[in-house]
Formats: sequence, C-alpha cells, structure tokens
Amino acid sequence: MEQESRPVTSGPTSGVDLSVDLAGLSLRNPVMTASGTFASGREFADFVDLSRLGAIVTKGVSVQAWAGNDSPRIAETASGMLNSIGLQNPGVEAFVAKDLAWLATQDVPVVVNVSGHSVDEYVRVVGRLEREPGVAAYEVNISCPNVDEGGMAFGTACAPAAEVTRSVRAATKRPVIVKLSPNVTDIAEIARAVEAEGADAVSLINTLLGMSIDARTRRPRLARGVGGLSGPAIKPVALRMVWQVAAAVRVPVIGVGGIMTGEDAVEFILAGATAVQVGTANFVDPTASVRVVDGIAEYCREQGVTHVSDLIGALKS
Amino acid sequence: MDATRVAGPGAIVRARGAAVTCAGTEREGHPLLEIVRVQRNERVAEGVGLLVLGAPRIAASVQPGQFVHLRVARGADFLLRRPFSVHGAADSRIEILYQVLGRGTRAMAELAQGEELDAIGPLGHGWEIQEGVSRALLVAGGLGAAPLGLLAERLAERGVAVSVAQGAPTAERLVARERFAGVARRVEVATDDGSAGERGFVTVVSERLLAEDRPDVVYVCGPEVMARAVTAQAATAGVPCQVSLERLMACGIGACLSCVVTTRDGRKRACVDGPVFDAEEVCWDGAGVPPRH
Repeated sequence: MEQESRPVTSGPTSGVDLSVDLAGLSLRNPVMTASGTFASGREFADFVDLSRLGAIVTKGVSVQAWAGNDSPRIAETASGMLNSIGLQNPGVEAFVAKDLAWLATQDVPVVVNVSGHSVDEYVRVVGRLEREPGVAAYEVNISCPNVDEGGMAFGTACAPAAEVTRSVRAATKRPVIVKLSPNVTDIAEIARAVEAEGADAVSLINTLLGMSIDARTRRPRLARGVGGLSGPAIKPVALRMVWQVAAAVRVPVIGVGGIMTGEDAVEFILAGATAVQVGTANFVDPTASVRVVDGIAEYCREQGVTHVSDLIGALKS
Repeated sequence: MDATRVAGPGAIVRARGAAVTCAGTEREGHPLLEIVRVQRNERVAEGVGLLVLGAPRIAASVQPGQFVHLRVARGADFLLRRPFSVHGAADSRIEILYQVLGRGTRAMAELAQGEELDAIGPLGHGWEIQEGVSRALLVAGGLGAAPLGLLAERLAERGVAVSVAQGAPTAERLVARERFAGVARRVEVATDDGSAGERGFVTVVSERLLAEDRPDVVYVCGPEVMARAVTAQAATAGVPCQVSLERLMACGIGACLSCVVTTRDGRKRACVDGPVFDAEEVCWDGAGVPPRH
C-alpha cells in the first residue's frame, strides 16, 4: 500500500525491486537493448524514456567505418526476420563524437558493442574507448554472421574466442561481456573458454544463420544470400542455450532471442539469465523495451515476487 | 545548362535544411505512435486497394512524400510493420494506396471499417518544394502515384502549374488519375496495353512533357528502372529532380539500417534521410532491387 502511494515516477514498476547486479554493474532493472536493434538510442528517445532501461547496448563499433552489405538486407520470415546488415557503422571516432557524447547526457548505463576484423581491431576500439568516461562495459561481438572476416569466425571455435577475450581483457578494467554465437555444436564449451580468459559475463544468443528464397524469382531474398535469424522464431533455441550455459559457467548470463514481452524475459531469467536484451521487438514496437520492463514488474506483482533477482535460475525441474 | 544543374541540387540541399527546422517547429519535433481507425478500405483496381484511416494527428502534420509505418496484423506469423506513403490527407483522415503483393498487404486488404491499427508517423524526408518554382512535372509509374497525390495538391495550392506523366499496365491501374486531373494543368498517360493514352512506357510521355512544359523541377516515383530513366531525362534537360525510393524496412525510424540507399555521400537511410532523395545524389547501381511486401 505504501508503495502504491509513491509518486508516479515509480510508475508501473513500483513495489518490486527490479535491480540486478551484473558483473559489478548495478542495473535498475534487467532489461537491456540488443546490439544493432536500438542504434545508439537516439532514434528511440522519442518513444521511450531511456532512463527506464537497465542499459543500452550500442550498435557494433569498429576501428574504421564499415559500409555494410548490399541491399536487400532484410527478409521477413515466419515469426521472425533475417538480416544481413553487415555491421555498418561510422567507426569509433565518429561514434565517440556523435553517439557517445549524446548518450553521456542520458541517465542510462552504456554498453558499447565492439566489432573487428582481427583481434587487433577489437583491442584498438577498446583502447580508444578507454579514454572516454561514459562507457559502463563492453560487449565483444564474436558472433555476427554477416561479415566475411572476424565476427562469427571468432565465436565458433574455442581458441579464437579465447584469444579475442584475452586480448580485450588485457586492454580494460571495465566489465567485458562476450556475445556468443548459437551457430556452434556446443555453446557451453565456448562460454567456458571465454570465462576462463576473464569474461565478466556472456550474452546469448546472437542470430542463427539462415536463408530465405523467393520461389518466383528463384533468387535468395537477401543480397548476401544468407543472414541472421531473429525474433520469436528463435526463442526456444535461445532459452535452451541460456539454460545450458547458465549451468556451465559461474559468470552472469544475459539472455537474448525473441523477447517480445515481460513474460518472455522472465522465462530467460528462470533459465538462469541475470539480465536480458530486447532486440527485434524494438523494430515492431519502438516502446517494446520499456513494455518488457513493465511486464516483468507485473509478473512479479502477480506472483508475489519482491526481488526480480530471486527469479534468476529459479526454474523448477 | 550546366549552371542550372549545379545550382539546382545545391539549392535543394539548402532548402532541405530549412525545411527540417521548419517542420520540426510546426509539429513539435517528432513522430510518435498514433492509433488509427479504418474508415474505408476498398478495391480501386486489380490488386490495388485504397485505405482511408482516421488519423487526426498524422493528417494534420504530414508533408507530401512522407510515410506512415503501419502494424497491419497482430498475432500473425509476420511481425514487421509496413511502410506506406501518405497519398492524401485532409479532415483528420489519411489515404493510403497499396498493392497486394505479400502477406502484409493481403492482411491489409482484409481490414474492415472500424478496426484499429497502430501507426508511427509521419516519418521520413518528403518532397522539397522550393521557393520560386512555377512549373513542376510529376512522373508516376504504377503505385508510384501514391506519394505524388498529396504533392500535386500542395503544389496546386501554391499556384504551381502541375504537369503529370502517369504510366501503368492498364487504364484501370492508372490509380489516382482523377486526383491528378483535379489539380493538374495537364495529365498525360501511357499504358502497357494501350487501353489509355500511349501504348508503352511513361518515359516517352515524361520526355515529351519535359520538353513542352519546361518544368522548374521534376518529381518522380515508380519502379526503379523507370525512375532511373526519368532522372536521366531530367539531368539531360538540366532540370533538378527528386526521386522517392522504396526499400524493405524494419524499424522505419533510422535504427536498423535495413533500408539503405547508396548515395554519393555514402549509404543513407530511406526512412529518415529519404524516402525522397535528390536524384543527383543517388548511385543507382548500388541501389538494390525492388521490394516485395
């Protein structure tokens, strides 16, 4: 009752402690945005109060500007979509000047997603960002299926995944999150490899490599031929992998894949995720990220859960 | 001729900056969500529908060439919104012309009066209407007529003499022909089957009107091969040209980078930098293939 009479600023999340600790970061709630689906937040500021999010994860940033792939870059699929954007971004200097400077004025932790064609490029991006105060953590993208060099090539075998993690770890004291690819035989093995090299957390899953064909034109719908599948179609795969990885590592797990609602997010938390990322849902509904926050709070109130952290890994057998 | 060509695009760039500031002030900045209601949904030609939506906020603020991003179906196995140019806007209503091509537009054809959808809009950078323009040529190919309807009306309201070159497969599919006829000084058409106007491509008509009506500006929308041909005609004539391009789009608000157009200044986003571009900045060879909804 007391909570309900609080000012409206506490909103629909009142009465429930949504805060989580993620690798030393205190997040006001477990909801982050998935890299590449939220740009650097500015485009969404018209629709949501960014300060209501746990964290913003930026679009992947590389040393130099990347032009990305040819069009068409997306194809809709059953309950999902394929993309082959190809990590188009303006490079780290432009990112710092335009996006990071703006994000610093927003009351939300910023996790910068880091991409590279080589180990050295990952390290150089981090090295440049170390001079900037407004970065809460790095998410190392070793799982993008849409670039020819780097990207997923680092994330589908233990040795290169470990090497990237080790090199980035040595370049910063900030929390390092490694984003894992589902396009592997045993994702838990990769998770253990990056944990052993000092990753503070792992996020999973990135997109599943897929394809769409137009029977009428007899051509692939994506200019690149193949792309990454996302959206509700991949949620069961993501949940299974989060559950496996959470059992395999001690570091926190961030659950990603097809989350559209608060209840979807709760499923990932029950499977062992400390936090979640909302991705494709942002394209469908630009307010999706905040709706997920509210939905988690609603679930907690209904279920008599006072601390969302009590749900982490609380799956019953 | 060369002087005109150099000055033309430059002037557009300056006008563009001014228009952004101006529009920003008028509609207090930013596009937001609006729940819109279906007032009418009817077949206007084979495979083409006209959707009339009650959308007071969008109707009041939309500029010619802008689009709305519609969530056509909920709970269906397709997720993404569909972007549509606003064809007409008046009295708290907007009109959308759509071609039934895929799952989204098939669902759209089933929408009944009174149904509500969520819309984001108005979005995008529309047509520039420069000061001092007294004659304009509008070139529409097929459903490319959609974003030109509101433009024709707004030009006429400003006293601009409007000529329209319109092409379609058949006479029936010369959608919006009446709207153009109501405000334009001249409408000339071409059809693939010769059922109206000239038999053949609209580019024959646009070339003639470009020579006869000596427009100050050309506005074009249609299949990319046709739009590209018209922009080449305008360039040869030394007339500034703007083109509205269609791309597959996910977010519609500048975040996902699905809808990129290759320009002389690198890749730009059709959803926020376009869909209307200065024709001279478009690199056609990198422009991609037409989308299917």
